[in-house]
Amino acid sequence: MDTTDPDISFDVHGVCNHCHSYEKLRRQYLYSEAEGQALFDGLIREIKAHGQGKRYDCILGVSGGVDSTYMAWLAWKNGLRPLVIHLDNGWNSEIAVQNIHNIIEKTGFDLYTHVINWEEFRDLQLSFLRASVIDLELTSDHAISSLIYYIARKYGIRYLMSGFNVATEGILPQAWRWSKFDWLNIKAIHKLFGKVPLKTFPRTSFWQKTYFDLLLRLRTVQILNYLPYDKAAAKATIMQDFGWRDYGGKHYESIITRFYQGYILPVKFNVDKRKAHLSTLINSGQLSKTQALAELEQPVYDPQQLEIDREFVIKKFGLDEAAFQAIMEAPIVPHTHYPSYETRHYRYHERFFEAVRPLTQLLKKLAGRPVSTPQSQTT
Amino acid sequence: MGRIRVIPVLLLEQGRLVKTIRFRKPSYVGDPVNAVKIFNEKEVDEIIVVDISATPNGTPPDYRMAREIAGECFMPLCYGGGVRSLEHARQLFQAGAEKVAINTAALENPKLVESIALEYGSQSVVVSLDVKKNMWGQYRVCTQSGRKELGDDPKTAALRMESAGAGELMLTSIDRDGTFEGYDTGLLAAVCHAVRIPVIACGGAASIAHMRAAVRDGGASATAAGSMFVYKGVHRAVLISYPAQQDLTAQLFDVI
Amino acid sequence: MITIVDYGLGNLLSIRNMLRRLGITSEITADLARIASADRIILPGVGHFAKGMENLHASGLIEVLNEQVLHHQRPVLGICLGMQLLSRFSEEGDAQGLGWIAADTRRFDRTRLEDHHKIPHMGWTDIHPAHESPLLRGIEAPRFYFVHSYHVICDHPEDVLATATHGYPVTCAVERGNILGVQFHPEKSHTYGMKLFTNFVTHY
Repeated sequence: MDTTDPDISFDVHGVCNHCHSYEKLRRQYLYSEAEGQALFDGLIREIKAHGQGKRYDCILGVSGGVDSTYMAWLAWKNGLRPLVIHLDNGWNSEIAVQNIHNIIEKTGFDLYTHVINWEEFRDLQLSFLRASVIDLELTSDHAISSLIYYIARKYGIRYLMSGFNVATEGILPQAWRWSKFDWLNIKAIHKLFGKVPLKTFPRTSFWQKTYFDLLLRLRTVQILNYLPYDKAAAKATIMQDFGWRDYGGKHYESIITRFYQGYILPVKFNVDKRKAHLSTLINSGQLSKTQALAELEQPVYDPQQLEIDREFVIKKFGLDEAAFQAIMEAPIVPHTHYPSYETRHYRYHERFFEAVRPLTQLLKKLAGRPVSTPQSQTT
Repeated sequence: MGRIRVIPVLLLEQGRLVKTIRFRKPSYVGDPVNAVKIFNEKEVDEIIVVDISATPNGTPPDYRMAREIAGECFMPLCYGGGVRSLEHARQLFQAGAEKVAINTAALENPKLVESIALEYGSQSVVVSLDVKKNMWGQYRVCTQSGRKELGDDPKTAALRMESAGAGELMLTSIDRDGTFEGYDTGLLAAVCHAVRIPVIACGGAASIAHMRAAVRDGGASATAAGSMFVYKGVHRAVLISYPAQQDLTAQLFDVI
Repeated sequence: MITIVDYGLGNLLSIRNMLRRLGITSEITADLARIASADRIILPGVGHFAKGMENLHASGLIEVLNEQVLHHQRPVLGICLGMQLLSRFSEEGDAQGLGWIAADTRRFDRTRLEDHHKIPHMGWTDIHPAHESPLLRGIEAPRFYFVHSYHVICDHPEDVLATATHGYPVTCAVERGNILGVQFHPEKSHTYGMKLFTNFVTHY
């Protein structure tokens, strides 16, 4: 990690705050093998128990990527009955779709897909591009979390399997992304730069979220944190059992995500997200610093694929080369420049829960329940 | 080895991808351009895209959409919907389509088929016949995306279109559309055995077995499907799929 | 750089699209000067043989093409009707072709076809290379998209690059030195076509 994260700080030994916070996360959310296995088994039993008599015992979101596919594999091997959900935002790659198809074929799980209205979504993404804010993915992330609430309500499901894992995702600077619950920010940006009314776009306001959180008591289970999560091993497993196909970089199964991470972020925002991911892998012992540096030497994007994707993205957005260039060259604007829950509602909300966190964690530990990573740290 | 073409059919309604059941209740499927891109990467044999709102709304073909879609196709593209003149066809070919599909206009005016076949070759013209059973259980050809009953029986209409110069026919059973009940092989047989041009079966497919029946019992030369390639499972989750080549080879191609 | 000859027939855009996806520069042109200075030529074509020859004559392209292909030995790839035009003569319109290959173009013989073999031969068909050639090198289990009612019959077996069966085996690709022709549509045949175009640019 380096100073492309504007908030980075280094101690006297040259160790940055990210390594320190990873260490903290590791101590807090990862377990020794025996302890982790016991907690994992307990969780599985609990999920099954709560799911008895219900159609599904948990929600499992898939994208076609490693983490979610491996989660599906774990669910399958442990006899869970998830409702597999997928958000189609109009940017699925063929590999993603095939990978999801294979999961369903092999496991027999039910699949629920929500297709976002493309006209609305295109307009929303375009408005984000024009607003010049860093987190384009906020649009999809918010839709996913709204979909999850919807499904949890519709099917009365109490558990959400989350693919977030400290071992490969623990490090991610705040400056590089924004909170996925910030509907106010999305609304505000769209109001200023958008044209197509967002009639069907899945959204959850602060108050709705508060209500759902209280009512649904939906528990997020970061299943990949309980057992040692080794990316390479996970890939091998799902390749063998599900015929999973690799697509290259992290999240590259979505065309817009790979273009955003591989081109827009590095070129416009001077952010190479690989640094965060690789730093995490170094910290979790899955990669050496030399290997990581070698990987960073490689172009973020295969140049030929970049050309194809770039043309496709410009076409899908209905832009031309000049308009796209203008967007790329426009000065960066922080999310806080536009109305946001983060600068209003959440400030009080978060402060309150942060203050009582030691107490709630103590209570959870006493009750023998595993603790989960706070939402604000999930990508 | 003989191969049978297996063709995804995509329906557009004002630029949005939709799927119908018995030609009604269109439900949203997503962005057409991305769907075609995915089918292209799955190396499908061919693709048919039909704009079901153009003729009922009286609008010309959506050339821009055709062009964007053609840019994603490294397989033949047949585009239909709103084609009512030679000029419409010309512009679609220029946009990159290999074939045009004509329905209402062809049945109302076979000379249109003749003129396109003369200029571009009959292989470039697909006449699309939508067939529904009427109150007395007789098959009748419909136009205007199934809204208007023409009064012709399918065999007569098919022969008329063949002599007008159509290179292929796409025969869709409105009653089976989106139902996953299998093709109407009786309807297919009646038409396929009367004409010499290839007939593409459409409407009702849920499996390769259905396709096999369409070829073996119905005499179809190619099979098309919509819902089968677009939906998955009990929740009808939108997820694009296409049979693997080895499955098609094992379960379909050996039938001829 | 590949020059795609525009003589009014054929979906030139599809060829250009595939070449572009492969990172191969190409131009579509009817300009005699540009064709006269081309490195490699693609002669596309969909439609009627007689009309194709008529258009070539009318545009003055024949002299330039003869010069380039026969004299300068520039690699030329005829696609579909373009391949048929390489022959001496076609039954479609009883017209004379370019005569670059000792062959004639004839209609499919209905007596040798079964009921389910329709004319035109339309769809994906496996092809069988008659001998090793750089054009088809590295293409596993080659199959391509065909649309044609007439097929080329060569005098000399050594000119036959590949055959395909539609009722009976027919020549689907020819090669004689710098003169190549394919009856099928590589630009509509996914990765099979991509490899063929790549081979054309790399080895000729």
